[in-house]
Amino acid sequence: MITLNINQKNYEVDIDPDMPLLWVLRDVIGLVGTKYGCGVAQCGACVVHLNGEAVRSCVTKVKRADGQKVVTIEGLGLTNDHPLQKAWLEADVPQCGYCQSGQLMSAAVLLRENPNPTDQDIDDAMAGNICRCGTYLRIREAIHMAAEILRKGS
Amino acid sequence: MKRQSENKTFHLQRLKTIGLLVIICSAIGIFSSAFENKMDFTGIKNTGTINKDSIESVQAFMQVYKVLMSPRCMNCHPAGDVPLQGDDSHIHSMLPKRGKDGRGVYALKCANCHQPENLPGLHKPPGNPNWHLPPADMKMVFQGKSPAQLAKQIIDPAQNGNKSKAKLLEHAYDALVLAGWNMGQGRTAPPMSHEEFVKVWTTWIKKGAYAPK
Amino acid sequence: MENSTTNLSRRSFLKSSALAGGGLMISFTWLSSFKAVAEKLNNPGLPDQWFELSGYIKITPDNIIKIYNPNPEFGQNVMTSLPMIVAEELGADWQQVVVEMGPHDSVKLGPQFTGGSNSVRMYWKPLRDAGAAARNMLMQAAAQTWAVPVEEITTKAGKLYHEKTGKSGTYGDFASKASGIPVPKGVKLKDIKGFDVIRHSKKNVEGLKIVRGKPLFGLDYKVDGMLIAMIEHPPAFGMKLKSFDASQTLKMPGIKDVFRLKMYEDDFEFGGFDTRTFNDLLVVVGTNTWEVMNARKKLITEWEPVGDRKEKVNSFGRKKEVTIPGELESSDVQYQKMRTRAKQPATVLRKDGDPEAAFKNAAQVIERTYNAPFLAHNCMEPMNFFAHVTDEKALFAGPLQAPGWVEPTLSKIFNLSPEKIEIQMTRMGGGFGRRAYGHYLVEAGLISRQAKAPVKLIYSREDDMTYGIYRPMYTATYRAALDANKNLIAFHVKGGGIPEHPVHENRFPAGAVDNYLAESWELPSNITIGAFRAPRSNFNAAAEQSFLDELAEAMGKDPIDFRLELLQRAKERPVGKNNDYDADRYAGVLELVRDKSGWNKPENRKYNRGVAAYFCHNSYAAHVVDMVTKNGEPYVERVFSAIDCGVVVNPDAATNMVQGAVVDGIGNAFYGGLTHKDGRSEQSNFSEYRIIRIHEAPKSIDVHFIENDIDPTGLGEPPFPPVFGAVANALYRNTGKRYYNQPYKNDIINRKNNIDKKAF
Repeated sequence: MITLNINQKNYEVDIDPDMPLLWVLRDVIGLVGTKYGCGVAQCGACVVHLNGEAVRSCVTKVKRADGQKVVTIEGLGLTNDHPLQKAWLEADVPQCGYCQSGQLMSAAVLLRENPNPTDQDIDDAMAGNICRCGTYLRIREAIHMAAEILRKGS
Repeated sequence: MKRQSENKTFHLQRLKTIGLLVIICSAIGIFSSAFENKMDFTGIKNTGTINKDSIESVQAFMQVYKVLMSPRCMNCHPAGDVPLQGDDSHIHSMLPKRGKDGRGVYALKCANCHQPENLPGLHKPPGNPNWHLPPADMKMVFQGKSPAQLAKQIIDPAQNGNKSKAKLLEHAYDALVLAGWNMGQGRTAPPMSHEEFVKVWTTWIKKGAYAPK
Repeated sequence: MENSTTNLSRRSFLKSSALAGGGLMISFTWLSSFKAVAEKLNNPGLPDQWFELSGYIKITPDNIIKIYNPNPEFGQNVMTSLPMIVAEELGADWQQVVVEMGPHDSVKLGPQFTGGSNSVRMYWKPLRDAGAAARNMLMQAAAQTWAVPVEEITTKAGKLYHEKTGKSGTYGDFASKASGIPVPKGVKLKDIKGFDVIRHSKKNVEGLKIVRGKPLFGLDYKVDGMLIAMIEHPPAFGMKLKSFDASQTLKMPGIKDVFRLKMYEDDFEFGGFDTRTFNDLLVVVGTNTWEVMNARKKLITEWEPVGDRKEKVNSFGRKKEVTIPGELESSDVQYQKMRTRAKQPATVLRKDGDPEAAFKNAAQVIERTYNAPFLAHNCMEPMNFFAHVTDEKALFAGPLQAPGWVEPTLSKIFNLSPEKIEIQMTRMGGGFGRRAYGHYLVEAGLISRQAKAPVKLIYSREDDMTYGIYRPMYTATYRAALDANKNLIAFHVKGGGIPEHPVHENRFPAGAVDNYLAESWELPSNITIGAFRAPRSNFNAAAEQSFLDELAEAMGKDPIDFRLELLQRAKERPVGKNNDYDADRYAGVLELVRDKSGWNKPENRKYNRGVAAYFCHNSYAAHVVDMVTKNGEPYVERVFSAIDCGVVVNPDAATNMVQGAVVDGIGNAFYGGLTHKDGRSEQSNFSEYRIIRIHEAPKSIDVHFIENDIDPTGLGEPPFPPVFGAVANALYRNTGKRYYNQPYKNDIINRKNNIDKKAF
């Protein structure tokens, strides 16, 4: 039995401890905001927070998360209104949108550790997240915007 | 100063070892030779004369060098602040930065992808619970180093993470070093077995840790 | 000229509002109104009362207007842009509009096809008509109720007014009555100058769902009792299953069944989009994805060569029989075959003047050959589809660009009439042409029928990449003849491909050169190919635009001036017939990009600048890319883009799409390529198939649209092809060398190492 705290809710799942967290979230718990893109930690579509770190759930066995805190895109921000989500809407970042939950989850760790990131910091943090539509410029812009929202406390 | 504190620790260790040796008696040659070797921690000898040990030591290091410069070792001892990847030692695809502690930055920390263990299948990140690069203040660069440069660097506590020869000998069994021989599917192993590596590594150090010219 | 907003302008908005208000104020009015509407819709007290005015429009009594988007959304913004067209003519208040994906119903909702940059072009008139007709019905309803002439009714932002009597009401007030009025035809449309929804940027209507990770995509679709299926496909093109042993697989947890199935019978007549990579499939069905992925690994399989085979094809009425060779193909062998074939006679597609004589008499002949590999689409959401097929009916749901093209096939294969087949279109995690090929619905349907259960078929990333319908492998040799005064007197393009050629014989510079020859040839292959963002153009624009750049240099001319001279000639004294471009509009984007990029300004000389322009999908695009050397590598730091696609419906979203096309173009030009060894794809995941990442994307992409009142033309594809040419031309200025082989990063490495070979 694996115990997971996902988005501040506790779950007990009777599951193969080797199953990647991605598939536990999607197929077992039913949280599908976390996406499957490559299965080999290359694209970042599956990024969730495990104890605050932006792990790639496609290669993270669920046993690593046993008894730990997991946050998915559905739980980003207290009311799912994280400044990044607001900024993403304001900058109208998404095209197809498939990679964006992973992008947001990666960006959230960046902002937590560096509330005033430069373009270089953003590239350093976000180069693990592929956007096949090429929305990278707007991702940079939205992260700057979210940083500004955080700084001004609005 | 660092060396002095190393001295102190070493002396404590030595005293313990002496005690142990007294108890189990000094008949075990291997221990005594290790003991002798631990006495010599001062780095590269510069005697100006060529002796037999130096030739053996250098020969051993040339074998060591092959391993250290193999992708399995060098990829995490890059010249820049981004690790290398693959058998061709290309720059790691998503440019994860070393960070202060060698464990990556922001959303690209090593452990975000590299799990405590290897995963089955091709293209999966190799795993280790302690996966990291050398830290920013002790980069221990292998990439681009000549055998002479690398040997001198490895034996220099100021550049090797403050390791004495004894620590260096132990380092051959470090979990991350061992991981080089267990990197998951699709990655070529270093050019000799770990056992062989330990042999040449030990020979190199015990024979005086000479650096090739 | 209209300058669409860029990142800079929005950022400066942030700054200025912060200054003015003493605190940060970001306008989230759209978001809050969206929430308000959503709350109303979710209010259990609200009667679920929608009055249907047409297939596109429903209105509630409290004036919430639902507009159905007819066309599949794969990131091109149609969920927002197409309803904007309806809302414009309807006179709706955009804040009161909710958008829903329409059902697959070509009678009510038209052709429903995403591809060929067609969505806005083909729906422009029908959606305007639909909006105008519904507005007219509401006006009639009000006129009848108020007993006044309909001509005296005016509308504004979802309300109806009668000025003389001072009467007014919302669309919701009259929705019930209006829904009973016959849909009028030929209602007068708005003057384009008076648009107040179109040409005014609207946020993505699904933005909130996307950033909150709500289920939107095919991969997110789920019903009770749904099983997961994956296909074990042959390891190489030209192979098929000989035998298998599933005993170990069946012992794995969660596994329900393993079976083999044949997709199409031998005498099946293939439609143009029935392309499928393998016909003989081994299927594993289980309860969840990971268990199925794992169990697949336990299959023991034996594969054998397919051999040459014949197929009957009926592509939109054009019937033919094709022979598909059984060879296990390798990229280097294919490349050599292309080189040999290129020297042999080819099919003449167009000939103007006497090119042979002109080349014979030329003072100088310049000849260059360009090569490009297969490209995989690599949509972020791998191919997948839900199917539940019984003897009575079939339900399909998932990501698909062309439901109308696969429906007849499904009808034939499952022996169900089209009305018994429902296809639900989910938001797609990318398409790029790949999802125009609905073979995975056939696969999912067959699996569901066999498993007697609702099934979701999922391709792993490796399946998706190695089991693809790729951009063909192309080559083209361009020749130009110059006279003693360095005038261009003849132009020759001879292009070939595996298995399709790339040549557009009537495109520029056809029409601008007295003596012109376009030829093509093709080599058959069993590697499956199909549409990839701007098919053929995505290669031609690289080759032709590089060649023109080199030509301009040889003639001692500025590359933009040279193109403009040719266009001037094509406009004033066009050569030949059927030139498919408008020389004025083509020149327009070049002039705009020259202006916006400060092409001749000395301060920009620090950049290695490359320019290219191209026409496709009835639109015109030109880019100037500014390259620098970063960490020892060429890097595109800035891009200026000028686009003429007629009326721009949703400017900020259009800007986003152009920016994306530029990033996609740089990525594919530098890194894109799929190669084969003995029929096996040599790349199977992003670790081997490099996709452009954020640090490789430019710092700025300034997008400028030509403002005109021409009905909209394509936008998703046109900005993509010329990026390749502009990158190649900038690379020349950055490195001093011309690169002829894609992907360019490989070509650069080969040239550095003096390896004389193709890049892929």
